[in-house]
Amino acid sequence: MLSIKNLHASVEGKQILKGINLEIKAGEVHAIMGPNGSGKSTLSQVLAGNEAFEVTEGEVLLNGENLLDLETEERAREGIFLAFQYPVEIPGVSNLQFLRTAVNAMRKHRGEEEMNAAEFMKLAKEVSKQVDLEPSFLKRGVNEGFSGGEKKRNEIMQALLLQPKLAILDETDSGLDIDALKVVSDGVNALRSEDRAILMVTHYQRLLNHIVPDYVHVLAGGRIIKSGGRELALELEEKGYGWLGIKDEDTAETAAN
Amino acid sequence: MKPAPKLPAAFLQPASHALPQPLLDLRSRRGTALADMPLPTRKTENWKYSSKHLKLTDALASPLPAAGKTGSSLAVPGNRVVFLNGVMIPEASDYPDLDGITIERFQDLDDATAAALADRLDATLDDQAVQLARLNAARFEDGLLIRLKPGAVLEQPLFIVHEVTAGASGSAFPRIFVDAGANSQITLVEEYISHGDAPVMVNAVTEFSLAEGAQVTGIRLTMEAENVQHIGATGVRQQRSSRFESHCVGFGGPLRRHDLQVRLEGEGAECKLNGVVVTQGKQHYDNHTNIEHVAAHCNSEENYRNIAADQSHAVFNGRIHIHQDAQKSNADMNNKNLLLSNGAEIDTKPELEIYADDVKCAHGATIGQLDKTSLFYLVSRGIGRREAKVLLTMAFINELVEQIPVQAVRETAQTRLNQFFDETFQEA
Repeated sequence: MLSIKNLHASVEGKQILKGINLEIKAGEVHAIMGPNGSGKSTLSQVLAGNEAFEVTEGEVLLNGENLLDLETEERAREGIFLAFQYPVEIPGVSNLQFLRTAVNAMRKHRGEEEMNAAEFMKLAKEVSKQVDLEPSFLKRGVNEGFSGGEKKRNEIMQALLLQPKLAILDETDSGLDIDALKVVSDGVNALRSEDRAILMVTHYQRLLNHIVPDYVHVLAGGRIIKSGGRELALELEEKGYGWLGIKDEDTAETAAN
Repeated sequence: MKPAPKLPAAFLQPASHALPQPLLDLRSRRGTALADMPLPTRKTENWKYSSKHLKLTDALASPLPAAGKTGSSLAVPGNRVVFLNGVMIPEASDYPDLDGITIERFQDLDDATAAALADRLDATLDDQAVQLARLNAARFEDGLLIRLKPGAVLEQPLFIVHEVTAGASGSAFPRIFVDAGANSQITLVEEYISHGDAPVMVNAVTEFSLAEGAQVTGIRLTMEAENVQHIGATGVRQQRSSRFESHCVGFGGPLRRHDLQVRLEGEGAECKLNGVVVTQGKQHYDNHTNIEHVAAHCNSEENYRNIAADQSHAVFNGRIHIHQDAQKSNADMNNKNLLLSNGAEIDTKPELEIYADDVKCAHGATIGQLDKTSLFYLVSRGIGRREAKVLLTMAFINELVEQIPVQAVRETAQTRLNQFFDETFQEA
């Protein structure tokens, strides 16, 4: 489904990704782990199409098509979804209006009828229940005044509504208490399906206890330095990143957000 | 030194004499007083940014005919008064006959009422600050006098449609006076629209007099087309414990000017002034507000937001004057601005003059652009770039639009604003 080849990317002239290679097939769940500044968030942002990041080399194919040629909104319509590490607050746009506009943009792209306000309200209420958000959140501004956990649940709610082909979860576990982590993980597990891939970016292993990955990759200094199965994450948990010989200079870079 | 340009004499010639004698007399006195009036130039402080957009040609001085087809999408049957080119059209108007509330056109007033009115017209306005709106009293052909007896309450909002037909060049001078008795209540919606595309000028003055405890809401939608220069003034005088609320939504044009002047003259009076302005192309919009805290213990709250796209220009000048005896005044003024292009310009100037020593007076002004992170967030969900920009731009003013108390007006404003922004971002 997703094929990343020799991907190099920079932000403000600073090279962050230095040759990423990764193959993700439909139905698979991949976890990318790595210390702060290793380039995890940059990879997520580059895949989603944030213009602040410049791809300097390499290619990314989504089902054989060149992803990097597409605008951000086109990537989303082709099935790329990024759950943000820091979801943006947008006062003045209601969550409901935002979600309906997004869902209808997708439907329009697929040649389907747009949903009217009443139909959408019904759907949104069901999905908000699934991530344990009160329906009153729909009326509030996008993420406005939401707690960290509520923002993350709102991200997962969007994924459930938009039904992407590839869901990228950027540090979705950060800032969650154990109960919220359970709700978010249940939401992500509900997304798992034969024809969908999930790419989780995380610093800590604990999310992987709830969402069990098929593959784990370690990112350091802008490259994947080790790949393995589920057990790799447990090993990292036990021994720390130092075990893989990751030096300080590899972690000194700060991934711009 | 080159002498300042003068008001062309043609602007002081009214068309008809259908008004009662006291108003005709007033009109001619005002006309005499304005003869040779110098027009504002760029050196005139309160017209600094707008004088170059003022184009008073002789052709523009002609009165527009008080006949033609009328039609507003907004005004509710049963609660509307229609003015065409500054003259009321009874056949198109349709309003309730309620105890304690009289709604009369100036042309129908008896001499005694007209004489009393003539003494009060312009009394809410500071002549020095509204130079060009003074022209209204020298030229009006008709007007609307709304009187509410003490305690009278108009339950439904009253819509006043000010239409101009711009088949040929000319001017219209609509005029409203609202005399709200003690503890009376009214919501007035003024909608300014136009048909035709010849250059025309609308010079509109609306005045509100609020007796003790009166509650008045004025909603003003300026929606004329590109060919209309609009110069408007709204004057308000408030007695003890009265409350005035203003909601202005303005779409740009070659020249749009609105002066809003509020005098808080009785203790405990309060006003809330909200304004939204949007401009695109080469449009120009200039809002000047002035709040006079004359009496003690009064509150004023003001929120204006401007959005300027393309090469357009928006101006906000907010003055708060707290008089020496106005102790315990509470004034809060805020102006936020959004620039949608590098070529657009917004000028904002808060002016605070405080002569009392025990007051709370706050002001704030910001100018910004659309937030890139928010835009990325929206498009990353598949929302088109243009639609995302419209959403974010609407978000900037939604907080104020949502406060408009009449649903039909709120929805009309939202629809029009959405269309406006959709047009603005067409190229993007």
